[in-house]
Amino acid sequence: MTTRDLDHRDRCAIVGAGRTDYSSRSGRSVLSLATEASLAAIADAGLEPNDVDGIVRCDFDVVAHNDLAHALNLPNLSYWGASGPGGSAPSGMMAQAVGAILSGQATTVLVYRSMNGRSGFRLGKGRLQGQAGAIGGNGSYEEFFVPYGLVSPGQMWAMLAQRHMHTYGTTQEQLGHIAITCRERANANPNAQMATRGLSLDDYLSSPIISTPLRLPDYCLETDGACAVVVTSAARSVDTDKPPVLIRAIAQGAVQGMQPGLASPALMREDPLSLPSVTVAKRLYQRAGMGPEDIDVAQFYDCFTITVLVQLEDYGFCQPGEGGPFAASGAIGKGGSLPINTSGGNLSDGYIHGMSHIVEGVLQMRGESTSQVPDAETCLVTSGLPIITGAMILRKAA
Amino acid sequence: MSELDLRPVPCTDDPDTGGFWEAAARGELAIRVCSDCGQVLHLPKAYCHGCGSWNTAWQVVAPTGTLYSWTTTERELRPGFVPPYTIVCVELDDAPGVRLVGYLDGRPQLESGMPMSATFEVAQGGVVIPQWQPA
Repeated sequence: MTTRDLDHRDRCAIVGAGRTDYSSRSGRSVLSLATEASLAAIADAGLEPNDVDGIVRCDFDVVAHNDLAHALNLPNLSYWGASGPGGSAPSGMMAQAVGAILSGQATTVLVYRSMNGRSGFRLGKGRLQGQAGAIGGNGSYEEFFVPYGLVSPGQMWAMLAQRHMHTYGTTQEQLGHIAITCRERANANPNAQMATRGLSLDDYLSSPIISTPLRLPDYCLETDGACAVVVTSAARSVDTDKPPVLIRAIAQGAVQGMQPGLASPALMREDPLSLPSVTVAKRLYQRAGMGPEDIDVAQFYDCFTITVLVQLEDYGFCQPGEGGPFAASGAIGKGGSLPINTSGGNLSDGYIHGMSHIVEGVLQMRGESTSQVPDAETCLVTSGLPIITGAMILRKAA
Repeated sequence: MSELDLRPVPCTDDPDTGGFWEAAARGELAIRVCSDCGQVLHLPKAYCHGCGSWNTAWQVVAPTGTLYSWTTTERELRPGFVPPYTIVCVELDDAPGVRLVGYLDGRPQLESGMPMSATFEVAQGGVVIPQWQPA
């Protein structure tokens, strides 16, 4: 076998993408949301449920693969898998879909994320909300965090932001520019939850503090909704309805020595500001045969503004420590050198745990985004931090 | 029932981390280290990735450190923690790179790098929890 035979570059494609409405109270079961998004993605591809033979889910999803297969009445399911934890999952889920297809275990894989993230289980209150009795143990290490009131990923990211400010001089205004940029894209997207609500720098700087130094607009929108995509081989993709979007490359990665548990143990790593996105960026660009200069538009996982800021550095769009000035320079805006989060992102469209970033990446590569970047041919899509992470580069088919 | 009674207490009998809480009950801070090569194993674990040893020990360290970062939380996230409250992340003087977190009431004036010292708080059920305050 040659290297070419072993790699996955451009050998699979996303042929369908779907989403539900996003809201703060869906009034529906998570299973119904997953079903609706899946049917939308399958129809978008011009396929039928019978064509789907693989399913990949996120480990945090309350909908299991067999639940969804039952709802869709899939007769041909032959592969299923899961990735995680949580928001880090979507790129890994796509990697499993690609692996299943290229190894002959499936031909057409449905990848989904569904949640009543606002009206149901709110991740912002922490995974252990409501748990009684002694906290931690069994490798979770939560005993070192939750008894101190450190219960939410937002508090951990606030401490990373504080440290970034101390180390590099990053400012609140610079974080604000990320929130404002995402809001501007949402204001152009009628489906975004913040479609009609503007955000100026003054608004941002006078908004309530949630956990210093982070303010309300630094936080993503806990959301009820679902997203799904359909993946198949590049060869088969020519028979589907919409222009296929090639998966140029996918990578997953960790920091050296890994990190146990969920978000809070990031504070215990050798250098908490050195994130797994550094590892993933290097691996992704190598697999893609591309570099940051080849990226036309990016969908950065944005659970918080600071999460975007560090990724601007880690994916090589600016030097380490320069994420703040880069964000404030206009580069990430619609006419900038690297337009980001063109649907409004987690911050202003809806938080579907990173899956909506893939859907928006597909729309950009088809020329269908509400903030379409002219002539965009490549899109970077990243998944959640800080535990482990993944990312991919999507490419417009020639 | 007071707010303090609503606060979760740590699991203190986990095989990997229990020694930390045993030391706290004695009024000491301890970190897990490899008995063969001296590698610090934090967060605590039973296997040394440095030399492959399973021989580890709990080493008592000075209850002093410097402030690595902090956040003051202004929203209620969990019963028992009434905002505003502050979480500090402290790097130990005796073990550079080893950090622990602590809880402080309100919005204390803090600065990166300031000296911090540990106190030992008796929580619900008599569990002793190391806390941190400006030295």
